[in-house]
Amino acid sequence: MKEKLYKKEITLTIVFSVLLLLMGHSASIFVLFPVLQQGTLWGFPIQYIVPILLGWFGIAGVCLIMTLVCNKFDDEMEEYVNSLPPETETDSESVKE
Amino acid sequence: MPAEYALSNVWIGLGVVGILFAIFYAVGYMSSRKTASDEDFYAAGFSIGPVTNGLGMAATWASLATFLGVIALILKLQVPFVYLWIQWAISIPLLTLLYGTSLRRMKAFTPATFIRQRYGKPATVVIVCWMILIMVMYALGQMIGLGRAFELLFGVPYNTAIIVAGLATVGFITVGGMYGATYNAAFQMVVMTVAMVVPMGAIMKALGSSGWWFPPLAYGDMVPEMIKAIPSFFDMKYDFRWYFALIPAFTLGPVALPHLAMKVFTSSSVKSARWAVVWFALFLGLLFSGTYVVGFTGNFFTATTGRVIEKADQTLLILNVFYNPTLVAAFVMGGAVAAGLSTIGGNLMAIAGLVGSDLLGVIAPDMDSSKKMRWGYAALAMGGLLAILMAFKPPKFLVTSILWAFGLLATTATPAILLGVWWKEANKLALIVSSTLCGFLYIVISPHVIPSIVVGGGLVAKLGMSGGMVTIPLSFAMFIVLSIAFNRMAVFKSFAPTLADKRVIDRIHGWGTDYEETRYNGITVPIIAAAVCMAIFFWGLVPWT
Repeated sequence: MKEKLYKKEITLTIVFSVLLLLMGHSASIFVLFPVLQQGTLWGFPIQYIVPILLGWFGIAGVCLIMTLVCNKFDDEMEEYVNSLPPETETDSESVKE
Repeated sequence: MPAEYALSNVWIGLGVVGILFAIFYAVGYMSSRKTASDEDFYAAGFSIGPVTNGLGMAATWASLATFLGVIALILKLQVPFVYLWIQWAISIPLLTLLYGTSLRRMKAFTPATFIRQRYGKPATVVIVCWMILIMVMYALGQMIGLGRAFELLFGVPYNTAIIVAGLATVGFITVGGMYGATYNAAFQMVVMTVAMVVPMGAIMKALGSSGWWFPPLAYGDMVPEMIKAIPSFFDMKYDFRWYFALIPAFTLGPVALPHLAMKVFTSSSVKSARWAVVWFALFLGLLFSGTYVVGFTGNFFTATTGRVIEKADQTLLILNVFYNPTLVAAFVMGGAVAAGLSTIGGNLMAIAGLVGSDLLGVIAPDMDSSKKMRWGYAALAMGGLLAILMAFKPPKFLVTSILWAFGLLATTATPAILLGVWWKEANKLALIVSSTLCGFLYIVISPHVIPSIVVGGGLVAKLGMSGGMVTIPLSFAMFIVLSIAFNRMAVFKSFAPTLADKRVIDRIHGWGTDYEETRYNGITVPIIAAAVCMAIFFWGLVPWT
């Protein structure tokens, strides 16, 4: 159970870090792949408006999903911690480097 | 400044700013009555709800640069600076994800509170000193902006404006503590968003745009004329490395900003902190998109009317003076002032927390909390006065000092926090060595201290981008490699993480009393990260074109 939770925490952190970086730095993709700099949206060049939209609604969307998923993860973690037996003096001393 | 750009009736401006300051002082005074303990003073009693906190986070982050400096740089650099600004919206979400909620669990007042528990006293002194320097630099940028706004608003000399605006500002922040700073920041965010977005509708209508009903995103019909007037406006202009350098220099710096982290810590719970981040992203996105349209319109205005904006920092104010009634222009200036105040509020509260809680926690651990709180008030006032004094001789661009400070923070503090939270091997001595060496290296290779020793040149060096791309990866790599080495050398045994240090990590991740030695303790991933950092370091040393 705790191995699963640990892996899940690391995975969630990496996935959301990458998603946030992509939302905030999407202009880099248009520099890396200049072929994408074609077309317009709402009258703007695509390489201008897409980073602005991702930097606003994209980040807000990722934050919303992150909040829902991470808050649910916290519940699972809390459930696990509550399932543990109370710590005793012996337990504390047995944890040695 | 040409007379046509000045506010036609100074008394209207004085009235608007006077009313705003009266509200700020009233909020500060009422908040001070709720402040009874150091938890109230530094963290608003850990009680702020998500919407208020989201507004407060956005206001604290938005700063006067959003109204003045960034528009000036969009006027000069055009679209690449829009891209530079967009990425700042991920700072607080990243901060919250990577360590904010963990530190909220331990009820930290500032990130340095964690540094003290995780790395001990000497490391705390190093990090706190860097953070105070950076907070003063940051407050300095805001003070300069306030001086410029008052200069334009009332037509008084810059130095007089700095003294009046600075003292009035420091006063209400000192009165209110974190409750006052938070409630005021939430109100200021509303004022600054209305001031940024609504009057732009009238300006766009005057310029012939059909998208005046929603200025932040509906100015697409102005694009053909803009391309005709400035064909290069939408060009990306720089190569990939320029955009990549934004990550170490500007994304990783704000992640460690104490005044942003403190906004996460004031939340009523870990879950509430995450919800606050959703509101933050929505509010800040609206304000930032308003800023981009002002930058666009400033360029459009100069290109299509043939008029010159001599002080680029004052573009928003000038557009409003030119197109809108005096009362509206005065309100916009009030919004700019509110932006400066909210950030200075955060900066000074961070200085108070760093000195009153973290530094005194090291120097005088037995001092009672009420006395520490009084020291916090004193530090807050002193930090404000220092920023006022330094603002008498400002750098050319308002944002230069702030952006430079971000690179310094990413070099000195970000590795300590991120590796400290996620890696049990992080070593105290390795932190002190890498933070000190790389911090001084960053200062040396930027053009502000020794102009003959510099990495990169021009604006990328002045803003700290080229320097940051060298020192930030070096700091991460050095910290990782030295930690692994020091932990295995008997001579440095006293600096190795103790069991208590390691237990802190498990606890702040929510594991309670369940301790596991192998958790957050691998070395393969850190070594790979150090190798990647060294590759970026060498890439940063390649001469910039």
